[in-house]
Amino acid sequence: MAAEQPPHQMPRPMLSALRFDLLAKCSTTKARAAILHLPHGPVPLPIFMPVATQASLKGITPEQLADQNCKLCLNNTYHLGLKPGQAVLDKIGGAHKLQGWEGNILTDSGGFQMVSLLKLAKVTEEGVRFLSPHDGTPMLLTPEHSISLQNSIGSDIIMQLDDVIATTSPDDERMTEAMRRSVRWLDRCIEAHKKPESQNLFCIIQGGLNLKLRRECCGEMVKRDTPGIAIGGLSGGEEKDAYCKVVNECTGLLPERKPRYVMGVGYPEDLVVSIALGADMFDCVWPTRTARFGNAIVPSGTLNLRNAVYANDFTSIDKDCKCTTCRSQSEGGLGITRAYLHHIVAKETVGAHLLTMHNVFYQLDLMRRAREAILEDRYPDFVKEFFERLYPGGAPEWAKEALGSVGVVVP
Amino acid sequence: MLTFTLAGASQRLAPRLGTLIAKGRTPIQTPHYIGNTSRGVIPHITHDNQRKHTAIRSLYMGLEDFIEKLPPRKPPIYDIPYENDISPLKVFASHPPSTLLILSPRRFPPVETPTANTNTTLSICTSVGFRSLPISQYIDATAKLHPDIVISPCDFVPPAAKQNASVKRVEKMSDRTAVWLRDMLAMKKEVREEQGSGGNNGISVFAPILPVEGERQRYYLDQLVEDFKGEVSGLVLYDCGSLGEIPESLEELPRLMLSDPANPRELLQQISLGADMFVLPFVSLATDAGIALGFVFPPPLLGKDGNGSTRVPLGLDTWNEENATDVGSLQEGCQCYACVKHHKAYLHHLLSAKEMLAWVLIQIHNHYVMDQFFAGVRSSIANGTFEEDRQAFERYYEAEMSEKTNQGPRVRGYQFKSKGGGEPKKNPKGYNKLDDMAESLAEAPVPSPSVDAGDLEEHGLGQVSKS
Repeated sequence: MAAEQPPHQMPRPMLSALRFDLLAKCSTTKARAAILHLPHGPVPLPIFMPVATQASLKGITPEQLADQNCKLCLNNTYHLGLKPGQAVLDKIGGAHKLQGWEGNILTDSGGFQMVSLLKLAKVTEEGVRFLSPHDGTPMLLTPEHSISLQNSIGSDIIMQLDDVIATTSPDDERMTEAMRRSVRWLDRCIEAHKKPESQNLFCIIQGGLNLKLRRECCGEMVKRDTPGIAIGGLSGGEEKDAYCKVVNECTGLLPERKPRYVMGVGYPEDLVVSIALGADMFDCVWPTRTARFGNAIVPSGTLNLRNAVYANDFTSIDKDCKCTTCRSQSEGGLGITRAYLHHIVAKETVGAHLLTMHNVFYQLDLMRRAREAILEDRYPDFVKEFFERLYPGGAPEWAKEALGSVGVVVP
Repeated sequence: MLTFTLAGASQRLAPRLGTLIAKGRTPIQTPHYIGNTSRGVIPHITHDNQRKHTAIRSLYMGLEDFIEKLPPRKPPIYDIPYENDISPLKVFASHPPSTLLILSPRRFPPVETPTANTNTTLSICTSVGFRSLPISQYIDATAKLHPDIVISPCDFVPPAAKQNASVKRVEKMSDRTAVWLRDMLAMKKEVREEQGSGGNNGISVFAPILPVEGERQRYYLDQLVEDFKGEVSGLVLYDCGSLGEIPESLEELPRLMLSDPANPRELLQQISLGADMFVLPFVSLATDAGIALGFVFPPPLLGKDGNGSTRVPLGLDTWNEENATDVGSLQEGCQCYACVKHHKAYLHHLLSAKEMLAWVLIQIHNHYVMDQFFAGVRSSIANGTFEEDRQAFERYYEAEMSEKTNQGPRVRGYQFKSKGGGEPKKNPKGYNKLDDMAESLAEAPVPSPSVDAGDLEEHGLGQVSKS
């Protein structure tokens, strides 16, 4: 067990560059509907944020992204730090100007790459040491450096650097160390943050699947009064029921008037359950990545359009979908059929672009429908309908259990 | 029906202005280019971007892109009925009815095939491999798919071999091409009779001029004039030289060039000899190479950019490091979507990050440049200054397109022909094994904890020194 750290001074109080208007709460579950006012415009919550890793949402233009009703997307600090690099970002004046995106941007801290490239990284109190994946040069990422980079990027929401280890790690001591270090790093991030008047720093709750650690972390981090709060270290391959317990536990301890962001979550069923557990914001590369593999998200699951059964299927991906790709030409859309997508996916880049637009729209529209249901206080019915379409044979156990814990019974 | 009207009395082998009109389609002012498609789309350009951000309203498609399924399985395009005067191919690929569609047996440029054509078949390349396409099937396909213009197949000889084509080969070429054209026109007649005088567009057939000297195709050309004149709606030329071989009585027909000019200078030369429409692979090639075209016609006056002793490049190599922090547009004053909304620095970033959006934006820009170019060509011809302007263009711009300096997007199997064993990989590996790196991490010196974060900012993530 690591020695207790001496109680250290609280960092300076935080400014906030956002306003969180809570509009409605579900009378059964913990779901909330809100408007998050950010420097680049209001964002309806709950929201899914598509990931434009390298300042580009995989082949679609910022205009096409806005056409799918996106108001807030992600950039990855780690990738922008490598390309185009901080000097270029400073010279151009940040990521909005770099990519011509008028909406909001959220950046991660670069910390997640520690989990995904763990083999190559060593974490010390100072920061994370790792090798450049490009040429093997040793590099160090500190909380100060991460914030400085995010200040250069100019994103509307920035994330603290946290000590991320896989939730599935059996090493309790390392988990405790990581959680406490994340709190100390938060303080360093707050001190290093040069633009609190235009960029909102979110803390990240750590503690793996250990609810006691999560509680301790919530307590410490809520004290720091950051404009928003993220629940991190999840979606690393843990059991879904353990994931739900952590989210449920944390949202119970977080202040009501702040946005809650669960990092790295993106399957539709995970979104619907997490909203019921009181989470507001989500991000994941899955919808756009799976699009590039030829998969379209629909209410009943996903369609793999490379499959020969779609070769002669002249219907749209989803007849009710109102995305640019699916909408008929008479409705101002493109009227693309499954057969044509089958013809070009994995052969022409246009196939990936068309599916990317559809999948992003699907996720955002799912959030819109969830939000409407919360505003009309019929979220439990929405959840039931959603699960009946996705799992006609009955919802998975983890979902039943998690939803049951907030008073919704799904078949 | 297709009508082609020439403005004024044109001279032989001189630039000319025309208007190509097909009922229900956007008219084309010539000289102009036709959008070159791959599997039904302009590469990288989704349909919404095409409509909003390009002026491309005519498309060239190769049947081979749609028929990889062999009998008894049926290619899906044949499952769409021809209705309301709209080609099933347009319906399949979701292009609006107003698009003018030109169908040819093959993509352009076609991938060279390992086997030759026969008297009754064409050798083609589909996404699943080479095979032969019976001419009768192609003709049936055009009847079903009802494009606005169909190209009658040419028993084409690869450009490299055509100079040395033997007398026998040329004879065969002209015989086959003539027979295929006859069959094609018979089909056209049948379709017209079936439809009656319902007012629908008939199918317009463009006939090839063979890519050999006039004397060697005399017999074929005579047939064209004597037997098929009146039935043929236009001509397809595979070689700039063929412009001089067009029989006088066919002068009024529109000419589609499948001559693949490598650069605007060659393109202008062909326009100067009376070419009307072009399919231009160099546009997409430039895009894939990351080159943003930057020429205008007529060229700017000399003296603006120096004394004219050095010529201006035809395009900007967006990969070039100089662009990394340049927030200027790809081409000064350009009003295309890419230039209005984005800048060189972003395009440079997208290319070096291998983001697909790079090619999307450059492709939009390059087609816009071609639109402006052809508009300039047409007004120059109308003003009677084309020849002067063309010479000024040659003085002002470099002759050749810039060399490709970097990797383009992934190349697909139907886009090239493998040369056999021992060939280098067309697409480089995207990932390496991390294990080798893990070892070098273990061996790397530990940075001291007192290291200054400010220092690291300078070259930490931002830059990796490669001195």
